[in-house]
Amino acid sequence: MNAPAPTEIGAQLITLRAAGMLVFQLLLVVQRMLLTNILLFALQSLLLAAIAGIIGYVHDARHIYVVALLTLIGKVLFLPWLLNRQVRRIGITQEIEPLLKGPASMLLCGGLTLLGYIVARPFTALERLGNNTLGIAITLVLTGFFLMFNRRKAITQVLALLTVENGVMLAAVALTTYGMPLVVELGVFFDVMVAVMVLGILVYRIRESFDSMDISKLNQLKG
Amino acid sequence: MPLLALLIFVPAAAGLACLPVRSRRAMAALGVLACLITLGLGVALARQVLDHGVVTEWNEFLCADALSAWMVLLISVVSLGTSLYAGRYFQRDLDAKSVTLGRVREYFVLTPLFSAAMFLVVLANNPGVMWFAVEATALSSVLLVALYNRRTSLEAAWKYIILGSIGLALALFGTVFLYAAAVGPHAIEKPPSFNWSHLITVAPQFDHDLVKLAFVFALIGYGTKAGLAPMHTWLPDAHSEAPSPTSAMLSGVSLKIALYALLRFHILAAACLGSGFSRHFLLGFGLFSMLLAPPFILVQQNLKRMLAYSSLEHIGLICTGIAMNTPVTIFGALLHMGYHALAKPVLFFSAGNIHQTFHSLKFRVIGPGVAKVLPVTALFMALAALAAIGLPPFGLFLSEMTVISGGLAAGRTTVCVLILAALIASFCGILQQLTRILPGARKHDQPGDARRADGVPAMLLLLGGLLLFSVWLPAPLQQIIRRAAAIIGGTP
Repeated sequence: MNAPAPTEIGAQLITLRAAGMLVFQLLLVVQRMLLTNILLFALQSLLLAAIAGIIGYVHDARHIYVVALLTLIGKVLFLPWLLNRQVRRIGITQEIEPLLKGPASMLLCGGLTLLGYIVARPFTALERLGNNTLGIAITLVLTGFFLMFNRRKAITQVLALLTVENGVMLAAVALTTYGMPLVVELGVFFDVMVAVMVLGILVYRIRESFDSMDISKLNQLKG
Repeated sequence: MPLLALLIFVPAAAGLACLPVRSRRAMAALGVLACLITLGLGVALARQVLDHGVVTEWNEFLCADALSAWMVLLISVVSLGTSLYAGRYFQRDLDAKSVTLGRVREYFVLTPLFSAAMFLVVLANNPGVMWFAVEATALSSVLLVALYNRRTSLEAAWKYIILGSIGLALALFGTVFLYAAAVGPHAIEKPPSFNWSHLITVAPQFDHDLVKLAFVFALIGYGTKAGLAPMHTWLPDAHSEAPSPTSAMLSGVSLKIALYALLRFHILAAACLGSGFSRHFLLGFGLFSMLLAPPFILVQQNLKRMLAYSSLEHIGLICTGIAMNTPVTIFGALLHMGYHALAKPVLFFSAGNIHQTFHSLKFRVIGPGVAKVLPVTALFMALAALAAIGLPPFGLFLSEMTVISGGLAAGRTTVCVLILAALIASFCGILQQLTRILPGARKHDQPGDARRADGVPAMLLLLGGLLLFSVWLPAPLQQIIRRAAAIIGGTP
């Protein structure tokens, strides 16, 4: 198949944006201000929406535009707004000391990135768009999980979960060109929105009964 | 009549209809009515599946084969029992002022939605839609776990949703890999059909590595939701902190629904790679769950946590039975699903009565002498416990023996010995724990109240059903299970 020029440029643009997503993820790992964390997540999602937009343009696929638009509305505007409001209402701006400090966690994430690439290597032949996108996607998932275990504020755990989801969506794009079928994308989008709202309700209730968002205080149930 | 769509819409509509209702009685009645209708629809669906093999709707968006039909029957029976029990249960909670009417409404709105999501899991023909439905079951049940708003229930709900979400993110990854396998290395032009019914026919051509990855991710993901050890840590917390009707739903069907999602991946992986790959994983996780549960049952101090660990063991047995991959063991495992779905809710219902009477679930606080204070509840609990530990004449004995004898016939002696050891250990554990609380001199001052017969209709329905189907399994039902087993076993 002759690769036309726009595909070539599109592939490079996608790789660039995927790399940007990774950068924002690493910033998230070291950043402790909650509001900045939310902003970083919004920027990361913006790049994901841009990737979807580029694919829609290059392949002239309508339904990808819908996905891009949904990502833009949901993950770039609505969820950050919702989380922002919650953080302001609770009045806590900073994450308490994470289990692993900045430099150490950066080093670990470097290792995770390496691992992501190693895992992705057998499948690079299957990637259709841009190089290394799958490696980045797996890295996003891994570092997202690390973020989840490293932080103790409920809000940061929610953010970490959302970055994991970003990683999965990036993998869907990397492996299958068009992303998932539209009905699946819609379902996933809807689920993520509801999940964050449900988590928000829980965070609020936890905050009310424990006077804290510190998840390490949830430790009464054992055995 | 669009059976499949109605199965999803009736409970969903019933849940939403409860939003403006102000009386507890009306909400409970609405719930029971919806469950009766869905049970009727489920039976009708089972008949159609027997006649036609596969029923599809909405341009194959919804699809039911024998396996789905069997799961539909389980969901609707347990939902019916639960809705019968829930009305009185929450009335007593309201009387004791342990919940507000708003929270009770939350229950009656979310529980039918929970059922609807489970119906969608088993009826969806698209792995992505199935994923979305499993996530919907988690989201609709998490607020139910947190219903009492105690510190411990909030903790349980948080663990449940966070572990569930991590698991489901991995399951979504698995689904993405499966889609990548379906797209294939060259098909750039048009996204192919992504339905189970289509995938299974073209599975042998899929990239093997991708299918392996898809299965492993789905195993960890849906396995978390199914409570397979070692991803089970949320399970005892959520089961013990949720209101008893919700515990019954979680243990009775929700675990099996997640296992169903995993089985679909197993069926596909078996069609692509041969059954060897996925089978070994299922066997390992199933056996580990079975062997992990008994020690926790033996040392447990909390009634509902003990019941949760017993569920862990039964899920492990079902998983192991399927993993041994002979028609007999798979048949036994599916049968076990059904019997367990009838027995376990009764245990949770009676645990709910005990909880409301003694305001605790700790064995030390409750017992001994429950039989003197709550004779009817104690009787039902004892009977259901005898069923759950696998004593005849209850069906769980039959299904366990089917699995073990099938395994022995297939030459899997080690596995069968391990199963037997785990079953005997939990047999002793549950028996020993319940003899601590049920018989004996009365510890409490509460007057013995033989008239107090709360939740008897629900318990009678499920336990009666269990006894009936234990001695007499109707031929059509047997046919459904046999065909479902054939779907998993891979033979036509």
